[in-house]
Amino acid sequence: MVETFQRENNLAASDLDFHQLVDVEAGWIDRRIFWNTDIYQLELERIFARCWCFVGHESQFIEPGDFLTTYIGQDAVIVAKDRKGEVNVFLNSCTHRGNRVCFAETGTARQFTCNFHGWAFGLDGGLVSIHEEEHYSGCANFDKSKLGLHRARTESYKGLIFATFDPKAPSLNEYLGDYRYYLDVLLDNDPGGTEFLEGNVKSRLRSNWKFAAENFVGDAYHAGWTHASAAAAIFGRGVKVNPEKSFQASVNGHGTEFGLDLIGNAMALGEPEVVDYLKENEARFAERLGKLRAKMVGSMSSANVFPNLAYLPGLNTWRTWLPKGAHEIELNTWVLVNRDAPKSLKEAYRRGISRTFSPTGMFESDDGENWEHCTHSNAGVVTRRQKLHYGLGLDSAIDHEEFPGKIHRVQLNDANQRAFYKRWADLMSASDWSSLDNN
Amino acid sequence: MVTAPANPKNNAPRQASLEVFHLIQQFLYREARLLDEQRYDDWFQLMDEEFTYWVPVPQARYRRDKKGTYERDRMAHFDDSLAELKLRASRWKQRTAWSEDPPTRNIHYISNIEVEPSEGENDWLVRSVAISLRNRNEDEEDWLGGRRIDLIRQTPEGLRLVRREVFIAQTVFLSKNFNTFI
Repeated sequence: MVETFQRENNLAASDLDFHQLVDVEAGWIDRRIFWNTDIYQLELERIFARCWCFVGHESQFIEPGDFLTTYIGQDAVIVAKDRKGEVNVFLNSCTHRGNRVCFAETGTARQFTCNFHGWAFGLDGGLVSIHEEEHYSGCANFDKSKLGLHRARTESYKGLIFATFDPKAPSLNEYLGDYRYYLDVLLDNDPGGTEFLEGNVKSRLRSNWKFAAENFVGDAYHAGWTHASAAAAIFGRGVKVNPEKSFQASVNGHGTEFGLDLIGNAMALGEPEVVDYLKENEARFAERLGKLRAKMVGSMSSANVFPNLAYLPGLNTWRTWLPKGAHEIELNTWVLVNRDAPKSLKEAYRRGISRTFSPTGMFESDDGENWEHCTHSNAGVVTRRQKLHYGLGLDSAIDHEEFPGKIHRVQLNDANQRAFYKRWADLMSASDWSSLDNN
Repeated sequence: MVTAPANPKNNAPRQASLEVFHLIQQFLYREARLLDEQRYDDWFQLMDEEFTYWVPVPQARYRRDKKGTYERDRMAHFDDSLAELKLRASRWKQRTAWSEDPPTRNIHYISNIEVEPSEGENDWLVRSVAISLRNRNEDEEDWLGGRRIDLIRQTPEGLRLVRREVFIAQTVFLSKNFNTFI
């Protein structure tokens, strides 16, 4: 591998006290974290080039050569299955002049050949051949074995494939930690495992990525107001949260807010078959998850895996918030289903999610509008000086006999958002993984 | 350039008269204006009870790939029956549809109309290009273009839309949302 340059040190931003910008003890957040481009550049280095980022589901890679293209932060990557059956993640940028080497978003390929000078890379990112190689016969420092595409570490958890560019990052299992208990609600409620439905939806929002992430990590509060119109159209009434039997749980900045109502989210899909499936299978889910967790499979809930993978149990939309600058994201969404679920159920999910959580959907339309204007109001210098209130539920921490992680009572709470920003500040302040407390 | 699927029935002898072409053209213009004016109930009156509406999400794949830009079983922006479209529109009419107030200013531009015979005696296969321009709030502007293939039926009550398929060109949907039909 070619010597890679040390990460840039973005001095202007790295001098900032990030734990002061996000005061999670008192519940105030400085708006500059949503606007300043130097902070964003440091996020690319200290969050996205450092954390485990979601890149795909194993069901998207059946045959050798199956690939997709995506991003880790703003680094374009290819995710490809090689002939040994391994899924590899490597930069989508030629080692010769840096041109993109794959322009398709998905498909099957034998290799990835750069359009510029014909340098061709294999399914593991290695340089296989180049156009008219004889020109390099006298070139002392031309060594094909050292000119492969820069690879990321790749690990998977129950079907989800993650990658990191940081050799010092902890293992994926350590990184997810006890949050795996909550991931299993969707990833492991059925012996056959899960798959993504074919295809996905990508859209652009003029929002800072953190507004989307914090919304899914813990903002149950917005549902009743923001989505009042969608709820009225689908249920004929508003969204109500049960304060007694709902919680927020967070681990390492990952988090979920949830009720124990089994079908609350699934109802929003407007597909009765999905609700019936959950009710009929609750006892089966409980065999794998226990009785309490089985009630979370389709409940009123949302979640975000730090930094930018989010999902909604019951609706089963999974999505990444890919940053495209400080003020824009590309939202990529997929639908996760149990592999052994009936075909008609998968079809209900496919069609239901386009009516609800997609850019044309009845719920998502309102979210984008909010996040965009939460972001762009900060163009105003005086506006930017006004801190934002994140103080809901400051005194709501509890111990729970079954739930792992930091637990707060009542899902209407800013607790998970504060935990998300604490993790953010820890990462932004730390020079490397060794100085981070991973729990 | 990836083209939308060809009409398998275009060998049929029947041809659209100037009058039929004119009626269909005016029908499409009126239908587009009803969307601009957000008169969804009037728009739905133009649909057959069995109306289906499909707007697939295109994928950028290599030409040699076995799968195409548009595939039936993939995720779609719309894959709806008439009842499901009415459900979507019912949200826009709620007093609590905050993001629809003030309303979006819509312009649907319709062109490239071709009328071909279809299987049924009273049916026409109608191709057109539709461009949706939306402006919201102060400076928000969103464009979406697509090639449409409609099945339009002549009935005693007038023309009715039986099926619409829209092949949009954006793989990444370059907007936060889509609060109209195309």
